[in-house]
This record gives sequence, C-alpha cells and structure tokens, in this order.
Amino acid sequence: MIRFDQVTKRYPGGHEALRNLSFTVESGEMVFLAGHSGAGKSTLLKLVSGIERATSGNVLVNNQNLSKLRASQLPYVRQHIGVVFQDHKILFDRTVFDNVMLPLDIIGFDRRDAQRRVRAALDKVGLAGKEKVMPIRLSGGEQQRLCIARAVVHRPSILLADEPSANLDRAYALDIMELFKSFHQVGVTVLISAHDETLMEDYGRRIIRLREGQFAA
Amino acid sequence: MKHYLYLHAQSARSALLKILRQPFGNLLNLLMLAIALALPVSLYLGVSSLQQWTARLNTTPQITLFMELSSEQADLAAVESSLKHHPRVASFRFVHKDAALKELEQRSGLNAISEGLGSNPLPHAFIVTPQALEPAMLDLLQKELSGLPMVELAQFDAAWARKLHAMITLAGQLAWLLAVVFALAMVLINHNTIRMQILARQEEIAVSKLIGATDSFIRRPFLYHAAWQGGLSALLCWGLSSWLAYQANPALAEFASLYGIDAQLRSLQPLEVLAMLLGAMLLSMLGARLAADHHLRKSQPA
Repeated sequence: MIRFDQVTKRYPGGHEALRNLSFTVESGEMVFLAGHSGAGKSTLLKLVSGIERATSGNVLVNNQNLSKLRASQLPYVRQHIGVVFQDHKILFDRTVFDNVMLPLDIIGFDRRDAQRRVRAALDKVGLAGKEKVMPIRLSGGEQQRLCIARAVVHRPSILLADEPSANLDRAYALDIMELFKSFHQVGVTVLISAHDETLMEDYGRRIIRLREGQFAA
Repeated sequence: MKHYLYLHAQSARSALLKILRQPFGNLLNLLMLAIALALPVSLYLGVSSLQQWTARLNTTPQITLFMELSSEQADLAAVESSLKHHPRVASFRFVHKDAALKELEQRSGLNAISEGLGSNPLPHAFIVTPQALEPAMLDLLQKELSGLPMVELAQFDAAWARKLHAMITLAGQLAWLLAVVFALAMVLINHNTIRMQILARQEEIAVSKLIGATDSFIRRPFLYHAAWQGGLSALLCWGLSSWLAYQANPALAEFASLYGIDAQLRSLQPLEVLAMLLGAMLLSMLGARLAADHHLRKSQPA
C-alpha cells in the first residue's frame, strides 16, 4: 500500500516538484502515472522508494511513514520495493547474472537459493540464455528487461517503473507492459510512469495524471 | 545467527579472492605495509634483546669511598658511624687496604706487588649501596659522602651501567614512539588504498544503495579487504624481522663473544606475533572504516 498525505517536495533552489499531493494506491493495485516530463512523476517515485524525502506531508509505504523514518532504516524499506530505473542503472563491469544477483546479495540470501531465483527471474523476462553475457552486448530492450529482472528477483511487494517504455518501439513496449501486468496478477503493487498515455489507456487501469506537481484536471 | 556468520565468511572469502586475483599490485601494497611495520618491530626486538643481556649486569649503583692514605682508625670509625646513621644508605661494606691489595694480587696474578712496592699504596675503602634513588639524589649523596672527613674520593661504580640502562630505556621509548607513528601510517595507507577502491566502485555503491543496501553492507567488503591486508602484511613483517635477526645473529654473536657475552637477537614470541597481527588488522580496518564513512557521508542523501 502506498499513501501520500499532503505531500510537498521542494528541491534546494526552490523548485517545487510536488505540491500538496494526496492519494492512495491499494495493495495489489496497478496504477499508471502520466504527465509531461517535469510534471513530478520521477520525484513521486523517488519519494516512494525513499531516494528523496518529502519537504512536508507524510509518505506511507507498507504502513511505514517514510517521512518519520531514520535514514538508517530506509534500506530495509527499499528491500521490499523493486525499482526499474529510467536510466536502468545496470552495472557494466559484471555479467547479466551478477547484475540480477545484487539485490539478493544485499538482502543476504543463501547462495544456492539465490542462484535459483536469479535464473527464474531471467527466464521470466526472456533472458534465460544470456546469463554469462556482459550487459554492454545486450540491445536496449534487453537491457530494459535485465533491469526488470533485477527489480523483481527478490519478489518485492511493490514494483516501481520510471518510464519503462521510453525509447522502445511500440511492440516492444507492449511486451514490457505485459510483463508488468503479469507481476500485478500475482499480487504485486505496480506503479508505472510514462509520458505516452496511449499505451496506458489500452489497459483500463487507474491513471494518476500530474501537471506541475499537482493532479491534472 | 548462523546465516549471519555465513554471510561474513562469504565476504571474507571474496575479499581474499579479490586480493589474490591481483597478486602483483597487492603484493607491493603488502610489502609497503610490512616494511612500515618492520621498522618499529625490529627496533623493539633489538631493544628487548639488549635488555635481556643487560639485565644480567649489576645496575644498582654503588658508591666507593676511598679514604686518604693517612687516615687512621678514628677517622674510619667516624665515617662508619655517619654511614650507619645516614638515612639514604641501604648498606655498606668496609674493605681494608690489606684485603684490597690481596685481591688485586690475586686478580692480576702479580703476587709480588707488595714486595716490590715496599708499602701498600691502596687506601681503605667503604663500598656503599644507597637506597634506590633518582639519579639527581644519587649525585647529591655522592657529593655529601665525599665531604666526610678524610674521604679522598667518592666514586660511582656502576655509572656506566646506569648510562647504558638509560640509553636502552631511551631506545625503548623511541621504539614505542616509532610504533605510534607507524600505526598512524598504517591507518593512513589503508585509508588511501580503500579510498581508491571505493572510487573505482562508486557506481556499484550508488546502485546498491538505491536498491536497499545498508551502510554496513557497503562497508563490509572494504573492511574485510583491509583486515586481510593488515593481517597479511603483519605476517610478512614477521618473516621480514625473523630474516633480519637471522642475518644479523652470526655477526652479533662474534662481536658479543669478544666481551664474553652470549648475545642473540631474539625473534617474536607467539603472543607478540598475535598482538601484532590483531593490531595491524584493527588499524587497517580503522583506516578503511574512516574512508568508507567519509564516502557514505558524502553520498548522502540516497
């Protein structure tokens, strides 16, 4: 469950990315986040994953108030969240397999159990044969899938995706959306941002539209 | 708990593998640390070996009072009584000039000295053992005793031994001072090597933090790396100092035999090796910890 309660985020320098925003995403819900770039979508996702902190208001994730949490507790919140970053944040100095292994290392999974999970996650996103490949040799779409595999390998209860379909052609983007839908179907709360609304409308899910940090009418 | 230990064993293992994967570069690093350690350790070994040899020497100072040749029985009695009542004199012994001559004859093997000389040229003497006093007080006592009637000369017997002792003490203090300086160097060297590693893995650290890594998770590999680095360099240093002792001992033994001493540079005892090992590991980890904390602070928030 994600709940925003009168959340404002002001960056140093005075730019207000979010203004007095309140909404709730129920557990197991799949919600789209729409708006032009600069509307506050990325900031909203960063507040959910505790990468940024709200200037005022409360951000509740899985019944924990991130605004009141000590910095040392934030990592444990993040361990229950999977994030597909806009810029992927893939590590190019290690194989596809080791990239997906990272979240499990962080949580401290048993080695053999972890290896089984990594293979399952790679299989799920269609990268089963590329375990030992270095990420630089993957196509853009494959890198996106690698990022998704890393976001879901530890079976988070919340999955955040920041513009996952950007720079992909429509067929590929639809593939990716189907993938997110399948996670939603097994009970994961999914929050996806995009600036291209045509893709979302096909799914008939709730869409939160942002404009200049507020709900767009 | 078992799982926790398993994770730490895993970190320790992968940190060691990382060092072994770049044997040349890391060996240079280890040697640098080992040499930095070897300097104070060698000095310490030298000093403590010296202390062992000199412990056998008599270093409690004695003051010998030589009486004037013309002194008579009454004078001797006067000196004796003032020594007896002096608060800073622990004990004293009277050496009659005839006994002194006899001893000299025996020691030198010249039996006929007295016959050749006609009369005994040696004075009566008192050998005074003062109570344990500071050097300044001893000097005062010596002056005071030399002022007694008919005392020709009051001489320190063990002045040279005292000087030697003072020098060894000084060298020992120097060894500790050096140890402190090099302990600091150990921290700084590790701080630097770990800082380089952190910079090389900056991206990995940033991504790890984004997906839920705690500060201690991020620090852990660096702390283990530093611990291995410290531990291995301590072992290298042990080897180095043993080799030095092994090289120096034959020459030293020959030199010492000229003075009739059986001298050997000792090598580190198991307990000392253990202390050095732990010390080096802890200092290295301290350096790594400081470097990691600095980076983590700098990269807040996120």
